[in-house]
Amino acid sequence: MSALSIELRKERRTGIVFVLLAIGVLGALYACANFLVRGEALLGMPLDPMDILLTQLYGMIVVINMFGVIVAACMIYGMEFRGDAIKKMLVMPMKMPSMYGSKFLVLAVGLLTAVAMQNGALALIGASNLPEGAYDPGAVIAFAGYSLITSMPVLTLMLLVSSRIENMWIPLGIGVAGFLSAMALASVDSPLVLAHPFVLMLKPAIAMSAQPDFLAIAVSAAQTVIFLAAGLWLSGRERYE
Amino acid sequence: MKHAQPGRSGRHPLIIETRNLTKRYKDFVAVNDVSMHVRKGSIYGFLGPNGAGKSTTMKMLLGLTAPTSGAFEIDGMRFPDSRVAILKEVGSFIESPSYYANLTGRENLDIIRRILGLPASSVDEALELVGLSEFGGRLAKKYSLGMKQRLGLAEALLGRPPILILDEPTNGLDPAGIHEIRNLVKSLPKAFDCTVLVSSHMLSEIELVADDIGILNHGTMLYEGSLDNLRAQAFASGYAAENLEELFLAMIEQDNLLRKQRAVL
Repeated sequence: MSALSIELRKERRTGIVFVLLAIGVLGALYACANFLVRGEALLGMPLDPMDILLTQLYGMIVVINMFGVIVAACMIYGMEFRGDAIKKMLVMPMKMPSMYGSKFLVLAVGLLTAVAMQNGALALIGASNLPEGAYDPGAVIAFAGYSLITSMPVLTLMLLVSSRIENMWIPLGIGVAGFLSAMALASVDSPLVLAHPFVLMLKPAIAMSAQPDFLAIAVSAAQTVIFLAAGLWLSGRERYE
Repeated sequence: MKHAQPGRSGRHPLIIETRNLTKRYKDFVAVNDVSMHVRKGSIYGFLGPNGAGKSTTMKMLLGLTAPTSGAFEIDGMRFPDSRVAILKEVGSFIESPSYYANLTGRENLDIIRRILGLPASSVDEALELVGLSEFGGRLAKKYSLGMKQRLGLAEALLGRPPILILDEPTNGLDPAGIHEIRNLVKSLPKAFDCTVLVSSHMLSEIELVADDIGILNHGTMLYEGSLDNLRAQAFASGYAAENLEELFLAMIEQDNLLRKQRAVL
């Protein structure tokens, strides 16, 4: 708890918390605006109204979330390298994995908040605009959990990459390359593409059904554990040569 | 040229001791078999030209870089088993100031204070000590080089640690600042009951503050002992005892010459 409170104090004026809250607000506003403009056309599609609500609006939301996570992850370690603050942290009587864990928590809770805001907006749209009896709040909660779980590999990978590279533009470039390659691979019909963390994050957006894909959930959980464990382990071995 | 190790008399126990400490980067030896003895309550001046291996040695003492071979003890404790316990006792300033550019000087110190579990008053005390009280509310990224240097020193002094490792603490300061920080370093063992290991490439700087000195060149310890013994040695070698700089330069020159001859052979 103390490490987390110190981490939040360090992040003053960096804009990390702002970015994570902003993607929540932006995603929620996009969903509302899109449904306001295209609502009737969307509901006219030959799909279940809940599938329309959750999958047809999620495409842009996931792109906003992805860029928010990439930028926030780059900034959260960029502030340590700027001014060589990390060098001071390495000679402090604290365990570096606890600092890494705190950074992960800040990003994860920030993304959770953003996803909650976005899905809150979807729930409001569903409750007020879907045909009588079509709205299912349980499906919104399940989809929110699904989209959060499939976003965690990108979050943990970007945190790992940004913790290892001093120049913030390199992890940022890796994030953009991940996004672009995922856009190209997302529609490939092979379970092998799920090995790509950015494809996993796009998975709920390209499906026509809001039903969670259990293979995607399993791969996401495995990748999240691997990237997080690698980051924690490497942070404990960090040196300043 | 090496002298008897300080602290062996038993009058002052050793608080930092290295044994054959070596750091090798591929084919370059940065620190070569350095055995160093720092007495508790003393100021140990670590002297050597740029690139002699002073900072690398200090980094090894702080766990910032791992030794290739050799060992060291700080207050009877060893890395990595007692890393946290050692770092609780050591305040340090290595190479250049480290700070969060997005935070003010006071906020930077507050982060360290919280990690060390110190009272809030320790931040103002540290700012006061280094003469930064007036600028505590300014963003660290807007500090001048000298102010950043002072902030780095304040971070090291926070909580009055029993051991201070300061790597060229007067770099970037103006003459008045150098004088002020030199006097501060000199007063620390008495004021804070601490031991100071301070490095510099200028003997004139070190001889004004240190009790013992270690002279390093190309990673090798050329001399270790008290300043009084070095003066006696200077006198015996035909140098004016009050001008140690000449002896220091002669030692470095002689060592460099020997290295060149060995390289030719």
